[in-house]
Amino acid sequence: MGEAGRKKYADYIDVEEGWVDRRIFWDQEIYDRELEQVFARSWLFVGHESQIAKPGDFLTTYMGQDAVILSRRKDGGIGVFLNSCPHRGNRVCFADAGNTRQFVCNYHGWSFGNGGELLGMHEEYVYREASKNFDKQKLGLVQARVGTYKGLIFATFDPDAPELLDYMGDFAWYLDMLVDADEGGTEVIGGAVRNVLNCNWKFPAENFHGDAYHVGWNHLAGSMAFGGSGFKADQNSSFQMNSNGHGWETAMGGGAMITAHNSGPVLEYVLENLPNIEKRLGKERAEIYGAISSVTMFPNFSFLPGLNAIRVWQPKGPAKTEIWAWVLVNKNAPDTVKQDMRRGVMRTFSPGGMLEMDDGENWENATLSNAGVVTRRQKLYYGMNLNAPEGPDYLPGNVRMGQIGDNNQLAMYQRWADLMDAPGWGDVPDRRQAKKAAE
Amino acid sequence: MTITDSRQPAAAGAPDADLIREVEQFLYREARILDAEELEEWLTMLTDDIHYWMPSIQNRYRKDKQPAFSEETVALFEEDMDSLKIRVRRFYTGFAWPEDPPTRHCHIITNIEVALTDNPDEYRVYSAFLNHRSRLEKDEDWMVGRREDLLRRVGGELKLARRKIVTTQSTVLAKNLSAFL
Repeated sequence: MGEAGRKKYADYIDVEEGWVDRRIFWDQEIYDRELEQVFARSWLFVGHESQIAKPGDFLTTYMGQDAVILSRRKDGGIGVFLNSCPHRGNRVCFADAGNTRQFVCNYHGWSFGNGGELLGMHEEYVYREASKNFDKQKLGLVQARVGTYKGLIFATFDPDAPELLDYMGDFAWYLDMLVDADEGGTEVIGGAVRNVLNCNWKFPAENFHGDAYHVGWNHLAGSMAFGGSGFKADQNSSFQMNSNGHGWETAMGGGAMITAHNSGPVLEYVLENLPNIEKRLGKERAEIYGAISSVTMFPNFSFLPGLNAIRVWQPKGPAKTEIWAWVLVNKNAPDTVKQDMRRGVMRTFSPGGMLEMDDGENWENATLSNAGVVTRRQKLYYGMNLNAPEGPDYLPGNVRMGQIGDNNQLAMYQRWADLMDAPGWGDVPDRRQAKKAAE
Repeated sequence: MTITDSRQPAAAGAPDADLIREVEQFLYREARILDAEELEEWLTMLTDDIHYWMPSIQNRYRKDKQPAFSEETVALFEEDMDSLKIRVRRFYTGFAWPEDPPTRHCHIITNIEVALTDNPDEYRVYSAFLNHRSRLEKDEDWMVGRREDLLRRVGGELKLARRKIVTTQSTVLAKNLSAFL
């Protein structure tokens, strides 16, 4: 079999036995391929509709390492396009957010509309009168495909990627706990907090994907400071769910995550709303709502449902990641509740957050240590809880009982390997109900 | 929006040299206490109604009417005495792993200006800081910024009642912000 046909990246992940090759966390070649095979082909979170509510509103972000603009067009539609002028490549927008009629390149004054279309430029007559191949229609900012789900905006640069809903699959049923628990929907408040970690992006992604295991030990100081005695999982009343690389780990009894806001009004608001949540989403999800949980939508959009903390792990190199973090609240929540949630998120999950503070050092040092030439010969052990029973049938996706374990993390890496190996989307296996289908 | 402004606070007269000296000594002592990780002691230098605030900065165009930060935007610190006590308690649990082995802190405080306010017991104090942290073999973080404090005289002693911290970084160039500034 030739190089092209070999499942090279699948060899790094042993899903059945639970081993992961350390190389995937530091190798420059692997990282470069991730940008092509994972980030340039997946649906990536770029923002929330509330952040670009009015025509002309925009924000700037990244899709992989490509700088993009998320823009509310004049016609009310949503545009996502490269933040790079087709003339010399300079950025056309330098603000994090704002409202504008056009994006103008500082270098030669090329200007673009809210949809990324080329409007004109300095000394345009020279182009009109004596230039080769000049076609304004073809010189706009490169467009991404845009998809929205209940306020969340995603984009992809791959024309062959499945529709957003297919891409989410079973995950959407769970995602509704975040974005559809109230009839008014959600909004992002207060802008973004960003910081830099010297770690591989997959460490934070897998941490939110399934790592309830670290909470009781790594975050012990934070939970003690809040008056607790450390998180203890109940493996019989919690689970990990994954579907096509997306992962959700959660307890089944709700509420505990809400208390991390350390706010009476927030707790009261959620408890009062629980009957409505049950009416909207049904008993199964109302029971999970607000439980200790963490989530990653493949590849790099993560959140803590119940704590309202959402974030993207922006890849910046094999050993560099930026956390871009936002606060998501129910639009109809009283203002005092929203402000308390904003403070609650920042005091727990931001660079100065009393829980997040613990994480960065682990991810940085894991990235660094894994590169040692002898160190790398030993594979990392991901076998925890692989023999756990499957979850109840009413839960969509691949579900294993117990939120402590490696089932989800392995599923994330399996999806990662699928994309790294697959020449096109047609070659990417469907991993929904993978275990059941195999039997 | 810059990290500070040059407006002179409306005040009744200029502070005398003794007061300026007293304020400087208060801020230097606070910096030394933070460098020594005596956080319980640090809490005694704050009033019970302390508001300790460090907004996150957004890059916005000059013509934009939305400010780079406001009380409504997300903040790296937005603390009162209760939440500061929780932070200090966390530090002393014995399980704060990212502080063990200890981080080495050095707070450099400079550009101190003192202004009187309408309240004879309260002073508006401007300062600039340079915070250097290093830990383990060679982890190193630098942060520079400005502070705008309100100091209050309580029972003869100065205490910190308000602090606004504005750094030059719109993206925090560190894995965490496990430091008081």
